[in-house]
Amino acid sequence: MPRHQIKRETDLQIISEWIDEGQSVLDVGCGRGILLEHLIRTRSARALGVDASLEKVQSCVKRGVPVYHGAAESLLEEFPDGYFDWVILSRMVQELAHPGELIRASLRVASNVAVGFVNHGYWLNRWSTLRTGSRPTNEVFPLSWDAGHPYNPVTIKGFNQFASKEGIDIANTIFLKGDWRQRTSFLPNLTAGYAVYHLRGTSGTWLSGG
Amino acid sequence: MIDPPTESTETHPGEIGLVRWKDYVHTGAFTFESGEKIPGFTLRYETYGKLNPQKDNAILICHALSGDHHCAGIHNLNDKKQGWWNNMIGPGKPIDTNKYFIICSNCLGGCQGSTGPKSINPETGNPYNMDFPLVSIRDMVRSQYLLLREGLGVESIYAVIGGSMGGMQVLQWGIDYPDFVRKLIPMATTARQNAQAIAFNEVGRLAVMQDPEWQNGAYGDGKGPNVGLAVARMMAHITYLSDAGLEEKFGRDKVKPNEARSQFDAEFQVESYLRYQGQSFISRFDANSYLYLTKALDRFDLFGESGQLEDRVKAIRARTLVVAFKSDWLFPPAQNRAIVHALLRCGCEASYAELDLTLGHDSFLVNAPDLYQLVHNFLNA
Repeated sequence: MPRHQIKRETDLQIISEWIDEGQSVLDVGCGRGILLEHLIRTRSARALGVDASLEKVQSCVKRGVPVYHGAAESLLEEFPDGYFDWVILSRMVQELAHPGELIRASLRVASNVAVGFVNHGYWLNRWSTLRTGSRPTNEVFPLSWDAGHPYNPVTIKGFNQFASKEGIDIANTIFLKGDWRQRTSFLPNLTAGYAVYHLRGTSGTWLSGG
Repeated sequence: MIDPPTESTETHPGEIGLVRWKDYVHTGAFTFESGEKIPGFTLRYETYGKLNPQKDNAILICHALSGDHHCAGIHNLNDKKQGWWNNMIGPGKPIDTNKYFIICSNCLGGCQGSTGPKSINPETGNPYNMDFPLVSIRDMVRSQYLLLREGLGVESIYAVIGGSMGGMQVLQWGIDYPDFVRKLIPMATTARQNAQAIAFNEVGRLAVMQDPEWQNGAYGDGKGPNVGLAVARMMAHITYLSDAGLEEKFGRDKVKPNEARSQFDAEFQVESYLRYQGQSFISRFDANSYLYLTKALDRFDLFGESGQLEDRVKAIRARTLVVAFKSDWLFPPAQNRAIVHALLRCGCEASYAELDLTLGHDSFLVNAPDLYQLVHNFLNA
């Protein structure tokens, strides 16, 4: 199985386990709608994806996954507090110009927020930078700096500091080793390649609460 | 994952070929939203494909202000012009006549075979003219409902699709007949026109009504406010295009020098094009219908008295895909997004796509592969 597929499936498994039957889920940067299609099928989720790429929107439409073509930041503003049961930010935060704002907005519109990101504090990433003296180029950031691919090297340590500063309630964390399969809890900022956080957002008072 | 290539739009889809229009005659009285009545009405329509035994594979196409029932195929072998959405409808095309039973009906209040101001009032033997009741988008939709249920025996509609005024009808269909429709595709439309759109319509109406030939709407056969109607059409036509689209098509190109005989003859290609559009419009459209239909557009308001779009759209049960065009400045993306936002806030199942087509409001009428793919994907999901 190709590595990118293992990564996607791991993500999908962890996040799906957190979501209950019939919950409403907004997947930010939903791509081709694979996670949402899975949640609709296995959890009868009331799903909505948002993506800026028309090509990805076409794929969602084809899968029967409801999707909004545009910027997540402006879409979130359209919803009242606690509207969704879940907002999912999977492998998104490292590509954003203002990830903090999106996380805050997600915590406002949802009772739960799942954030999954590549840990740039992982020892191989540190070693790569140390060895090459330049930014790591890897599966997550395949393009070099001049191609302009956004690069926001978030780490588990950095994310914890952000959560603590913002007073964000972390309900659960899952850290995976470099193979993105085995879990680790020992010095995760050094030993984990991938991190998934379950954050508590605004309690639902709107339709989606139930 | 890379999606497998889709079949239908990649292959060479077939043509419907020869089609004929039909008339649905409703013999009972019809009461308009305004409370006014007419003793009966006729809707002209065309159908393509076959209604299945379950009677649930119908797709209704709603046309825009100056459109008509002829949306695909040709009427005779010498017909050079196909129906207005021929590139979208046909065997193997995005709206596939092999799978679906497609219906396009002319609107109540129109002038191309359906009952409108120029029709004869059976109670007086004279044309209705200005005595024709005020027609609304809801009236148009209810008359289409009668055609589908009583005229064609359709028991549920698979999808209702339309752009601009057609998009307003699509939304109204979803609201008024929530259990009858399964999918909606409103495109390049709005839940209510803003002041700019009303303003353009008002200038058009005044051009018609201030033409001395208008005669308070009582102009005779073959007569009418042709100058006013042509001017109205020229101006409206500009709002259907875009700056970039016009620049690309005409720029500052000039007509041939010997064709411009005086100072104010058409000098630029764009002038000549607009004059042609205005002239050809008067041969196919009735001035009074233009007044009635533009008023129906102006009055359409799903925000209602509460000012909350949600109050109306929450009735919608159909899966909805709203499509906007970036270059549309008549019903710009923000107005289309407002519809999706309201639907989503109500918990309805809605999607939104914004296509980067340069030709403005009328982009849904031109060759647009992204749009075809989107419609194909949505209908077949």
